[in-house]
Amino acid sequence: MRTTLRARTALGIATITGVALIASGCASGGDNTGDEGGEITLTIASFNDFGYTDELLAEYTAENPNVKIVHNRAATSNDARANFFQKLGAGSGLADVEAIEVDWLPEMMQYSNKLYDLSDPAVDGRWLDWKAAAATDADGRLVGYGTDIGPEAICYRSDLFAEAGLPTDRAEVAAYLEGDWDRYFEVGHEYVAKTGKAWYDSAGATYQGMSNQFSNFYEKNDGTIIATENADVEKTFRTVLEESADLSAKLGQWSDDWFGALSTGGYATMLCPGWMLGVISGNAADTTGWDIADVFPGGGGNWGGSYLTVPAQGKHTEEAKKFAAWLTAPEQQIKAFQNAGTFPSQVAAYDDSALTGAVNEYFNNAPVGEILINRANAVDPTPPFKGPNYFKINDAAQQALTRVEEGQQSIDESWAQFVSEVEALG
Amino acid sequence: MTTTSAAPSRRPRSRAPLTGRQRFANFSYRATPYVYISPFFILFAVVGLFPLVYTAYVSLHEWSLVGGDAGWNGLDNYASVLGDRKFWIALRNSVSIFLLSSVPQIIFALLIASALDTNLRAKTFWRMGVLLPYVVAPVAVALIFGQLFADQFGAINNLLGTFGIPPVRWHVDPLSSHVAIATMVNFRWTGYNSLVLLAAMQAIPRDYYEAAVIDGAGRIRQFLSVTIPGIRPTLIFVIITSTIGGLQIFDEPRLYDQFGQGGSDSQWLTLTLYLYNLGWDRFDFGKASAVAWLLFLVIAIFGLINLLLSRRISTEGTR
Amino acid sequence: MTTGPAPIPLLSPAQAARNRRRRMRRLTVAQRKPGILGYAFLGVVLLLSILPLYWSLLVASGDSTSARDPNLSWIPGVHFIENAYAAMTNPAVNFWKALGNSLLVSTTVSASVVFFSTLAGYAFAKLKFKGRGPLLVFIVATMAVPTQLGVVPLYLLMAQYGWIDTMQAIIVPALVNAFGVFWMTQYVQQAIPDEIIEAARVDGASSFRSFWSIALPIARPAATMLALFTFVATWTNFFWPFIVLTPQNPTLPVALSLLQANYFVDYSVVLAGTLVATVPLIILFVVAGKQLVSGIMQGAVKA
Repeated sequence: MRTTLRARTALGIATITGVALIASGCASGGDNTGDEGGEITLTIASFNDFGYTDELLAEYTAENPNVKIVHNRAATSNDARANFFQKLGAGSGLADVEAIEVDWLPEMMQYSNKLYDLSDPAVDGRWLDWKAAAATDADGRLVGYGTDIGPEAICYRSDLFAEAGLPTDRAEVAAYLEGDWDRYFEVGHEYVAKTGKAWYDSAGATYQGMSNQFSNFYEKNDGTIIATENADVEKTFRTVLEESADLSAKLGQWSDDWFGALSTGGYATMLCPGWMLGVISGNAADTTGWDIADVFPGGGGNWGGSYLTVPAQGKHTEEAKKFAAWLTAPEQQIKAFQNAGTFPSQVAAYDDSALTGAVNEYFNNAPVGEILINRANAVDPTPPFKGPNYFKINDAAQQALTRVEEGQQSIDESWAQFVSEVEALG
Repeated sequence: MTTTSAAPSRRPRSRAPLTGRQRFANFSYRATPYVYISPFFILFAVVGLFPLVYTAYVSLHEWSLVGGDAGWNGLDNYASVLGDRKFWIALRNSVSIFLLSSVPQIIFALLIASALDTNLRAKTFWRMGVLLPYVVAPVAVALIFGQLFADQFGAINNLLGTFGIPPVRWHVDPLSSHVAIATMVNFRWTGYNSLVLLAAMQAIPRDYYEAAVIDGAGRIRQFLSVTIPGIRPTLIFVIITSTIGGLQIFDEPRLYDQFGQGGSDSQWLTLTLYLYNLGWDRFDFGKASAVAWLLFLVIAIFGLINLLLSRRISTEGTR
Repeated sequence: MTTGPAPIPLLSPAQAARNRRRRMRRLTVAQRKPGILGYAFLGVVLLLSILPLYWSLLVASGDSTSARDPNLSWIPGVHFIENAYAAMTNPAVNFWKALGNSLLVSTTVSASVVFFSTLAGYAFAKLKFKGRGPLLVFIVATMAVPTQLGVVPLYLLMAQYGWIDTMQAIIVPALVNAFGVFWMTQYVQQAIPDEIIEAARVDGASSFRSFWSIALPIARPAATMLALFTFVATWTNFFWPFIVLTPQNPTLPVALSLLQANYFVDYSVVLAGTLVATVPLIILFVVAGKQLVSGIMQGAVKA
């Protein structure tokens, strides 16, 4: 009896060991990044959806047969950020080309010497000035090639608008909403009064849209933190929360319920940067009624957008630079836009008929190319300053907003806590 | 199995003078034990002791994950951690989750153990049954229970609803979130600990019970005055290990929601999660190290309290 | 000589008394009859152990709305394979690589812990050397040290060696541990008569040979249990792998944590992945659960 049990255990362990050896053999087999006969493997790490499909990447390998490309996709920008900085600090392990998001670009610029200099006459003037300037360090080294920007429009549910007796045609909606944030809130109250349902998804997203219209919101250009004394911050914070009492569905962005409400109509409008179009159509595929209006409260706004960088620790920095330059060329970025809605930061793309004529079937055949170009033109050409502490302060602000929306704290309490958290950062 | 050790061997030994070869053999005979035990000591020194001590060094420096050592800054990291509201919330949460997971867990483990400590049919079946959750990884437990305890239409809230109980905000109220996280810990460890206690119970001589029965003690009385004193050392062992583990809880709170930050208001931020967030999200190794030392202190204090309490209990017990 | 019958043990009076007590104890284990209540209580406990797993099977075999469905059927749906496939092929998760890594790490660590612990346990139990007692006490004392708190320097150390995101970073710090040494010392002490070792030495067997061909085979039952517990502990370990590994090269728990960290989370897929990742340990449990149970119970008596 004893022996059989022991024998069975031994057999079990032996089996598992065998499988382990085979599996690890497979795992390490797929991991081969060495040079063989002049062939090189370039790795690119991105997150969420950049629109870099296998087909698009295959175009590059077709032109450069000695190059093999491995694409690693992290799920979220947060995961990518942690991974990026950890390996930047470790001095090894980063991909040859690393995608980074504008929100943590300032944090990264502190370590621009760990990134390969991508300056090149061939790419001068390729991007919007502010886009390239943000990725240029004090020594004039360009360390990131711009991919997309996030010019914001308003996405809305035309079916819900109809129920509330609001205009449904996108041009009429744009005209109706035209104005500042107060106008947007006013129409919201009108909608809520008629339907009893929420106007927008969350205080956090709305606050994000408003705060991005200030040139120095949390920090001065020299990096000094002014978040607690800048009256704009407190005013924006309080306004959003007061309006949100009835306007907000109080669904935190990216939460399960937020995604669910995309289909169920939990909110009627959403601030909509280009890349959000893919998020909506991908997660509420069966819902009809989403549309996009060529309007944004208070003029224009940019939310998000990314860059490609080449870490200096890589083995094939020059090859990687060439690949990044190709991938961020207008032609490729337009294809990425068609795949995932990532709106180009490349000036030449705006005259390209592939972009100007782009239509999105899901959004009731909206001319999204044209709309987003208009929205991009409405963005203030001097972008808001975001220093090394931006990410942390904004994180604290977002949590403060959530606390009020969850009903844990009053606006005053939450603000006081935000102030103390920001002071702890300094 | 036969568990015996023999009396010393009586074979005669030769007393002839040692040759060089024998001298070497003698030396290697003496050195061998140290060679055999050295792997543990070397490894412990390199990956256990050294990091722990070096943590103190890092905690006194401004040190970024990316930029490295940026110089001495004295006790600044400690001052800033102790001045951070989140630290105190994390301390509260860790202690609260630890109490919610260890106290009910030990009570239930005792009950289960005493139910198992009877002449059951299919003993092995029952014992294996209560041990099953132990092989489910904490990460898996957290993913499953995170959904069971979802705020809107989660299975547990749905169940409560059928009894007319309004939904609990498991991911909003601090205490509710602690209960949910403690439930995950209890799910995985209660069965394990009841087997530990069962083993101790089985070592209690039967005649103690007989004596108690003769004195007219009922089941509960027997449990309190025979079983509990009989398993005291094991019980203390279980309590101490669950203290050391419970105060360092990380997996469950980290995966309790999809963001891993411990909640919008740090409702379920624990000290280890706080340490992780400082080190690998804010990239501030200096402050993370300060938290590590403070947590070390907290564990030492709780360990001491445990020791004193259990000493008192055991002296009372022996009388 | 190792295959010969064990020599007749010569018992000292104290040992004989101890053995008698032990036999008594075995006879006097409480023979109380369990009532119907006892069975009912254990039945409920068993149900609570299984229910969360069964519920996740129900969700994992349904669709994205199942986790929130108040009227979820008690019979599993038909989408399990589909959901499990989605989890395993999610490009951000690297499931297969994680499975390979987990198997590699857990087997390597188990084998190494057993080897080094038995070696050290043999030395502590059967060889005489200066400082034996204090050193053993020291080892036991280290079990109470929360070495997990040294993660920052350990991470720096790994970065120094370029081991971030490699399996060495998980395996090497776990090669041997205090519990294993203590456990094997206890076992070897009582299971192997001193005179066998002495006899082997007199017969000219080298110390390592007597370890290899005498101690190791006799210690096998305890070594098996140690291997099992180490395997489970390594397989389920999350904190350190989560810190030092990345999504490109994870172990299973790290990969599972990524299933949820997504912009859109379909929980039927997450739970399907979770179940698939748990299957290897369930198999282990079915094959060797009895050993786990007796391992826990023996360890406890000694603790």
